[in-house]
This record gives sequence, C-alpha cells and structure tokens, in this order.
Amino acid sequence: MKKFMILFMSLFIWTQGVNAEFGCAEAETFMSDIGKKVIDLLTDKSISDHERADQFRDILETKFNVKAIGKFVLGRYWKQASPEERERFLNLFKETTVASYATRFKEYTSERFEILGSRPEPDGGITVFTQIIRPNASPITIDWKIFEKNNEIRIYDVILAGISMGITQRSEYASVIQKGGGGIETINFALEKKLAPKK
Amino acid sequence: MRIFTVYNKKHTLLLRKQRYESPMKIFFTVLSLFSLMFSPSYAEEAGGSCEDSGEILYAESQEPRGIFQFSSSVEKQEVCQPCSSLEANDPFEPVNRAIFGLNNDLDTILFDPLKIIYTTIFPKDIRDRIGFVLRNLTEPVVFANNILQGEAQDAEDTLRRFLINSTVGLAGIFDVSGSLDIPYKKEDFGLTLASWGFDTGPYIVIPILGPSNVRDACGRITDFVGDPINWVAYFGDSVFYSNSRTSAQIIDAKSDDDIISDLKKSIDPYATFRAWYTERRNFLANGYRQTLESPCPDDGDDDVVENAAATPAA
Repeated sequence: MKKFMILFMSLFIWTQGVNAEFGCAEAETFMSDIGKKVIDLLTDKSISDHERADQFRDILETKFNVKAIGKFVLGRYWKQASPEERERFLNLFKETTVASYATRFKEYTSERFEILGSRPEPDGGITVFTQIIRPNASPITIDWKIFEKNNEIRIYDVILAGISMGITQRSEYASVIQKGGGGIETINFALEKKLAPKK
Repeated sequence: MRIFTVYNKKHTLLLRKQRYESPMKIFFTVLSLFSLMFSPSYAEEAGGSCEDSGEILYAESQEPRGIFQFSSSVEKQEVCQPCSSLEANDPFEPVNRAIFGLNNDLDTILFDPLKIIYTTIFPKDIRDRIGFVLRNLTEPVVFANNILQGEAQDAEDTLRRFLINSTVGLAGIFDVSGSLDIPYKKEDFGLTLASWGFDTGPYIVIPILGPSNVRDACGRITDFVGDPINWVAYFGDSVFYSNSRTSAQIIDAKSDDDIISDLKKSIDPYATFRAWYTERRNFLANGYRQTLESPCPDDGDDDVVENAAATPAA
C-alpha cells in the first residue's frame, strides 16, 4: 500500500512538473512581464526615439517568433521563395513592424497593462487576454497567442479587438503579390519603399 | 416564421405610408435609411470604443481548464495543423475597390473636415455624452436581436441597461449601467443571422458606409426597418429627427477612429480593411472569440533556436 502511495505521489508530482513547464499561469506571467517592459518603454520619456526602437526590436526578437509569423503572413509565397529572399523579407518585416509601432508608442503617457485571463486553444497554444487602460479613452483589448516549443515561450499572434495582426497582414500581402505578380520580391520591394522615408 | 410575418406586415405598412408622403420626405427617408444602416455597428467597430469585451473575456477565461485536460490537448497536437490560406470571398473586387476609393475621397473632402470641426467644437467629454445618447437609442434593436438569438441573459441585461440609462441616466447622457457593471454589448441582425447559421456571403463595400458583406447588409436594413425609434419618428412625422440622428451618428463614428487611420497606412488599405472587417465580424459572431487560424509552430522550419530544429517535418 505504501509503495502504491509513493508511486501515486511521484506520478502526481511528475505530472505537476510536466504541467509547470507551460500552462495558463506561465503564459500569464510571461505576458505580464512583457507588458510591464513595454509600458516602461512607452512611459519613459527620457529615452530617445532611436533607443526606443532598439528596445522594441529587442522585445520583438526575444519574445516573438518573427520567423513563424513571417512565414504565416506570406502563406504559400513562402514556399516559393529562395532562402535569401526569405531572409531579406524577415528582416524588412521586422523593421517595418518596429518602425510602425515605435512611432505609435510615442503618444502613450500613463497607460496601464492588465491581464484579464487566459485560455488553452485546441491547436495547443494559449491565448492570454489583456487590456490597455488609457487615461482619456476606452480600454483596448489585446489577445496574445502564445506557443511553447523547444522550451521557448514565444508570441505568435497579436489580436487587437478581435482583429488578428497575422491574418490581416497575410491578406494584405497576398493582395499586394496578386496585383504585383512578382512573388515575395513584390512584398520586399513594397516594404523597402515603406521603410525608406522613415530612415 | 411568425417573426417574418410580423416583419412583413410592418414592411408593407411602411411602404403604404410612403405613397402618401411628398417626394421630398421620401427622399429623406431613403437617405436616412441608407445612412442609418451605417452607424450603430460602425460606431462600435470603428472607435473600438465601449467597455467591449473585457468583462466577457474575463468570464470566458474562467472556464474550466483542468490541468490534465490542458496537458492532454498539448500532447495531442503539439504541432498545430499546417496553416491553410485564408481566401477572401470577394467576387466583386473591382467594383468594391472603386467604391472603396470613392469612400476614401469622400472621407478626405467631406468627413475629415467635418471631423475636425466636430472635435474642435465639442470636447472629448461632450463627445462621449453624445455617443452614449446615440448608443442608448440603439438598445431596442439590440434587445430584439438578443431575443432572436435566444440569449435570455443578454436580453435582460440590455433591458436593464436601457431602462436605467433612459431614466436615471437622463436619456443616456450618463452611462449609469456601465458603472453598475452591465457593460454595453453590441448586437445586430447580421450577428443574429450568423447565430442562425447564415454564411457571410460575398464581401461588399457600400458607398459612404464602408465594408460589409451580403449577410450584414441585409442585417442593417432589417435593423433599420425594425427599429421602434425610427417608427416613432416616422409616424410622429418627424423625419427631421431621424435625419439628425443619422448625421449625428455618422459624425460620432468618424470622430473617434484611431484604429481606422492606422489601417489606412497599410500597403494595400483595401485588403487590410477587408481582412479587418471579416475578422471583426467573425470575432463578434463567435462570442468574442477569434476562431480564425493564427501563426503557429509547425514543422521545425520556424524554430527560434535554429540548432534545436530536431523535429522532423511531418
């Protein structure tokens, strides 16, 4: 009987251990850390725009799976692209994201980031529900799609008031490629053009 | 079925009355019908305003999520399905693009200046009050849609909200119900049709009103025809009121749309708006859940740690 108890106990501890690796609680902690980081970044008016962009790039590189997102937003055009084209695209994709968000951040002053909860998804990911409380406007709800792979927790999608940034960008790029007719290079060209005046 | 007969009766009544109206009044009625379709839903979506999904999401996240249940789902689908492409249902794209361009021009020459005037005259607080009053007037339609969707709890909340805000809240000037934790939850007949299993149908862009689809456009017309406030205005011979409300709603919706101005910066704004509308409606129709696919780890190609890409491609 005692043996059974020990076996049961160890099994229980083992399963708990497995779950402790990545669950809703972990996902929420992960998001709350990032939220704090980003809000600090926004409200700190002492740093320059350049520094802010650098720090934002750092968050993007370490907390998001940019490659998976880039692959998703290109859809089938990813498969047709050469490794060099992919590399170039990912870089441009990252830079345009940094450019568009870093400028948006400038207007923020005393925002508050709140975790509302989380939910495991059928595809194995976890959605963390958050909102940003703004001083003179209604709160913005942001949902974060998070996956754990090879012991790395990363953000794969940002859903703003129900609008997935991944899907929106994918539709946009598909339409641009269909009109331009040049595969991934059409996008690279367009992104370069978009980035050019800002640099 | 009974719903439809009632609706038809109302509809024929409306048409019969119209015959006796002067052409001018008919013109204004049509105009207000046209523009009113736009505002209640658009206002919500454009501004991303309202206490929105916060509460609801929180409630959802409280769903049972046993650790064992979760761990099994992870084991079952460690890698999610390969992401299939999201094809837009947009057979009328050339026409839609033309109307989209027209709407953008209208924004530039008409609505943007109006928006500047409006936001200059009225401070944010007053604009919020106007928004609340207009929103309060949409409650009867929301209530009807709650009933049609069979959502008893939502219907009760809507009724309470309407009664509280119309009385204590002085015709909706003050969002009393909001502070009583009965947040506004938008419903329209398009979402009711969705809950009955209707597909969206092709994407369409309506002049002035913007993105829609066949289902939601039918929903907007139904919402307008079934709106008791329009009925009161109509039979009370105050089409003027109806028109003012309409104009106010359009200005109100246009005045607070920072999300929209962000979307316009995209490489292909048309495609972005299309995706945005489709996703937003999907989100609302599924009870504040986005059920569309998202980026996900799939076959090792996307590994963050390149060296760890040991998983063989499935």
